[in-house]
Amino acid sequence: MIYINDNFLEIRFPELQNNVGLRIHFKRTLRIPDDGNTHSLPPGLGSFPLRHIDDFNLGTKNHLKERGGIIMPMYQSEALWLDFTSIQKFGDVEYPIAVKIGTGKICAVSGDSWSSTLNRDPQDYVVVPEQPWLDGYNVEKGKIKQFVAAPMGHGYTVEEQLTGEANVGGLQIQASPMKKDYYDSLNKPVQNMVDYCMHAPSMDMDSMEMGLAPGGEMRQEIYEDPYDFEVWDLRKSQRCFVTIANAEQWMDITGEEPPKSPISASAYTRAGLPWFEYYANNQTAIEGAKCLGKIKSIKNVAPTTGKNIWVDDEPAFKPKFSWLTKKKVNGGQW
Amino acid sequence: MRGFGTYIRTRRETLAENSKDFSLRKISKVIGVEPAFLSKVEREVVAPPSEAKIVLLAEALGEDQDVLLAMAGKVSSDLLKVIRDRPILFAELIRKLKTEPDYAVLRVVREVRDGEW
Repeated sequence: MIYINDNFLEIRFPELQNNVGLRIHFKRTLRIPDDGNTHSLPPGLGSFPLRHIDDFNLGTKNHLKERGGIIMPMYQSEALWLDFTSIQKFGDVEYPIAVKIGTGKICAVSGDSWSSTLNRDPQDYVVVPEQPWLDGYNVEKGKIKQFVAAPMGHGYTVEEQLTGEANVGGLQIQASPMKKDYYDSLNKPVQNMVDYCMHAPSMDMDSMEMGLAPGGEMRQEIYEDPYDFEVWDLRKSQRCFVTIANAEQWMDITGEEPPKSPISASAYTRAGLPWFEYYANNQTAIEGAKCLGKIKSIKNVAPTTGKNIWVDDEPAFKPKFSWLTKKKVNGGQW
Repeated sequence: MRGFGTYIRTRRETLAENSKDFSLRKISKVIGVEPAFLSKVEREVVAPPSEAKIVLLAEALGEDQDVLLAMAGKVSSDLLKVIRDRPILFAELIRKLKTEPDYAVLRVVREVRDGEW
């Protein structure tokens, strides 16, 4: 079962074990500069609000309602990262869950068209808790291009760059838990994704709808699945469509003010606030997806209509860093 | 069942194995109490702290605040308000669900509907 809990998405598998599941926070963050450099992890700036799409009158946009799921607001060119947290009782081993992430029904890990199955070669999913977060598209081993919101129909989104069409947009999530017997016997969950592969109806997209496009480049590894492939339980998979609305559309649909526009990366850095580096022990990164390696960041896309939406941040900043790690720290004598 | 103090002490010490941020002194500072007081709470020499302090403690230790409040014999004030606003409805609902298994209770929660995409 999937539900909204205080602005995060909670996916639970009560039929497997009580108190087992996954929380996904949709985090606001700084848009990193697209200056040819590879940047560190930006901070989280709070969560995007989430609402049931069924709660609102969408007028003629019935296709949004047909997809079900949730709706969240993003400003044009605003960046997003996904924060994954396992749910388990204190003291229990975290229950492994395979998570597939798509934007416009293009897999953000493999670059392949969306399918309901899991694939190991190339890997098209991440494994939680090993993968703590995902900030963007897997363009190269150890590098991602940041998820950045862009209007549909102008050629910016990965969907449009790879398929030439603006049919879907939004964000798609599918979670598949490890089979219970593997978890019980190995204390390490792994599982396959659910089979859901459908064709989106052909439709004229409202220009206010949003998709995700690639932004600046960041150091981030997508970790290899450490479990045997057969441990994933595709029959238990659950999925959710996340419609992304721009600020104006969000107000029209929900009647709520969207969050305030985030500060720029340079203003954040000038304030002396930290960026982050992360390393994990004993985990292997997968290769970047070949087709995603060819995608252009928003800044370098010549839009099919209108001017390019990318606004250059002020260049040349010297950020300070904090390290994030799961490595055990030696407390020493003091 | 372990008591509130023992539970948070175990949790804090587990986290402290990997980071000094979870020392008694650091956590005391985060939640705004004296280390001696938190030590007494952990040893169950004194009663659990206020709701506000327990919420901060849950946040600091990565625990669910409702679980910690329940272990401390308290109910979150926002939940109390929900019940007080519609006491008959929620009293009846809670009594009817009290012996149901977790999966059945979870079905009462509103699920995100999946559609065609």
